[in-house]
Amino acid sequence: MIIVKDLHKKYGAHEVLRGIDYRVEEQEVVCLIGPSGSGKSTFLRCLNGLETITSGEVSVNGHLVNDRKTDINTVRREVGMVFQHFNLFPHLRVIDNVMLAPTKVAGIGKEQARAKALELLDKVGLKDKTHAYPANLSGGQQQRVAIARALAMDPVVMLFDEPTSALDPEIVGEVLSVMQDLAREGMTMVVVTHEMGFAREVADRAVFMDGGVIVEQGDPAQVFGDPQHERTRNFLSKVL
Amino acid sequence: MTFYYGDLAPYFGQMLAALWTSIYISIIAMVVGSALGVLFYLGKASSSAPLSRVSSGYIGLFRNTPLLVQLYLIYFGLPELGVNLDPTWAGIVALTLNNAAYTAEIYRAGFESVPHGLIEAGQALGMRRAVLFRHVIFMPATRNVFPALTNQFILLFLASSIASIIGLPELMNSILNINNKTYLTFEVLSVGGILYFLTSAVLALGSRLAESMFFSWGVKRHA
Amino acid sequence: MLRSFGWQDLEALARGALWTIALCATSGVIGTLLGMVLGLAATSPSRIARWLATAYVYFIRGIPLLIIVFFAYFGIPLIFPELSLPAFATAVIALTVFTAAYMAEIFRGSINAVPKGQWEAAEALGLGYFKKLRYVVLPQAMRIVVPPAIGFLIALIKDSSLVTVIGFVELTHAGTIISNLTANPILTYSVVAVFYLVICYGVARLGRWYEQRSSADRKTITTEETPAALELEGV
Repeated sequence: MIIVKDLHKKYGAHEVLRGIDYRVEEQEVVCLIGPSGSGKSTFLRCLNGLETITSGEVSVNGHLVNDRKTDINTVRREVGMVFQHFNLFPHLRVIDNVMLAPTKVAGIGKEQARAKALELLDKVGLKDKTHAYPANLSGGQQQRVAIARALAMDPVVMLFDEPTSALDPEIVGEVLSVMQDLAREGMTMVVVTHEMGFAREVADRAVFMDGGVIVEQGDPAQVFGDPQHERTRNFLSKVL
Repeated sequence: MTFYYGDLAPYFGQMLAALWTSIYISIIAMVVGSALGVLFYLGKASSSAPLSRVSSGYIGLFRNTPLLVQLYLIYFGLPELGVNLDPTWAGIVALTLNNAAYTAEIYRAGFESVPHGLIEAGQALGMRRAVLFRHVIFMPATRNVFPALTNQFILLFLASSIASIIGLPELMNSILNINNKTYLTFEVLSVGGILYFLTSAVLALGSRLAESMFFSWGVKRHA
Repeated sequence: MLRSFGWQDLEALARGALWTIALCATSGVIGTLLGMVLGLAATSPSRIARWLATAYVYFIRGIPLLIIVFFAYFGIPLIFPELSLPAFATAVIALTVFTAAYMAEIFRGSINAVPKGQWEAAEALGLGYFKKLRYVVLPQAMRIVVPPAIGFLIALIKDSSLVTVIGFVELTHAGTIISNLTANPILTYSVVAVFYLVICYGVARLGRWYEQRSSADRKTITTEETPAALELEGV
């Protein structure tokens, strides 16, 4: 599904990603953990072209993201992204937020898009908020709308960039449970997160990144329970 | 010092008609000028270097020279090039061109203030630039600059008085004419001033009303 | 007497430009001082002070500058018939009245932009109203005032062209005289425009230099970040 070969990313002189090799198989849930500045968000954003790739190869669902000839919007239509700060469109009601891309990007008819949107909003537990504006929703509600908005495009893989970091602790659970449902339904997911509990329970694989490289990766129980590398141990001891 | 406001009464209708002229030339200049302004902003922000430089040059020129000088160039200068505009048209053209430069800058602030995250969310959904601009950027940007735009309209309305100098028959011109005829200087200036003031006050109230009507989605009303 | 545009005309325009600068510097300084007083009044605890200051500011900002100029020109001789003011003084009075109102708004906005926590901290230390202003609030407000004040100064330079109607020979009026003498409005007014461009860009430059100098060691609100409420786009 996602194949990354020797990915390098530079900001001017500063190299943020120093040669990442990774594969994400279909229906896999991968959690990226690591300290700030480790490059995990940058890596995620390279997967759908929000960050440009300095060198290396990134293939998503058969499309070569790093190839200039690839139309990045084709890739983005198949990849859903959920942001730390939700980024809902403030001037549109919830239902319109979810319907916007299907109608204007995928060319789906309004009635069909609306039906799908209502179904998705019900699925994330917000069917009574369809006509509210984002400003009137709590953080957790906004994030769930954001998930529905990304799902409306029928993506093959969902990217989550610290989806719960901006939420009050007691609201984090409602978003994580939606993500857990998605995982159970077989969605391929790559999640950058600080929620170790979620990573341990839901992820098929955990990846620890530090200083722009993958330091350690594998089964979550093993990465969390019996880390092989010193840096992994260091990081985990600080956050757990 | 005695005041003869009563003697001003027969001229009041004339003043109101002239006020209407001030208002409608301001509306024309605002509407056409704002549309031009958005174009100039897009020009300035475009990736084509010559287009960007020409747009920046236009904006810089019209924002750093007085409206009066621009008006003189159009009314007295253009005839040398064969273009003869009467005072009304010269005034409208000058106000429009001037306004375009200011609204271009207002829109720049507006478009640049749209949170980058919104643009990324649109991009992540596969939106191309045209779709992004129309559905994601334009409304939040306009909401951000709405107060500045309505303020600009009020300034434009007050600035329309400058066209009196070339004889455009708006309110200021009417005031000066009445003064020449009747020498009721204090009376006509004060009544005229109050007319200007009341109109700008109404415009200010109206814009606040419009803002709460069209842009209520920006206000947090979470229970 | 018609003749073509020559060096003496350029010199006459330059002299007009100097008069424009003199006019704006004088009205700018006096108007800013008055504006500061009005701004303080507008944010004071005294209801009367607030009401008077706000009424003045709203009224002056709601009428065209030309009305103020004509009021000064016709009104002063009416009220003080023995007084025979030179055109420069009348122009300064009109522009000062104008400046004071706009600067009052800028000061009011800047004082309000100082976080409420500063007032509270000063209050907790036992400082009275004027001491709070002098030692805590005003120093911080001053830093916020500069960018919009520079913006207004540039607007003032352009607006000063309106005193041409009372016959004061500043840059624009000089332009009118020369344009009539040489029958060459395009060249004359273009040169006038260039003078204004130079003066305005010069002031903007000065403003940026001042901002950079003062933000070297502490955070200042730059022109780009100035809150919309303090932005003034005068024509």
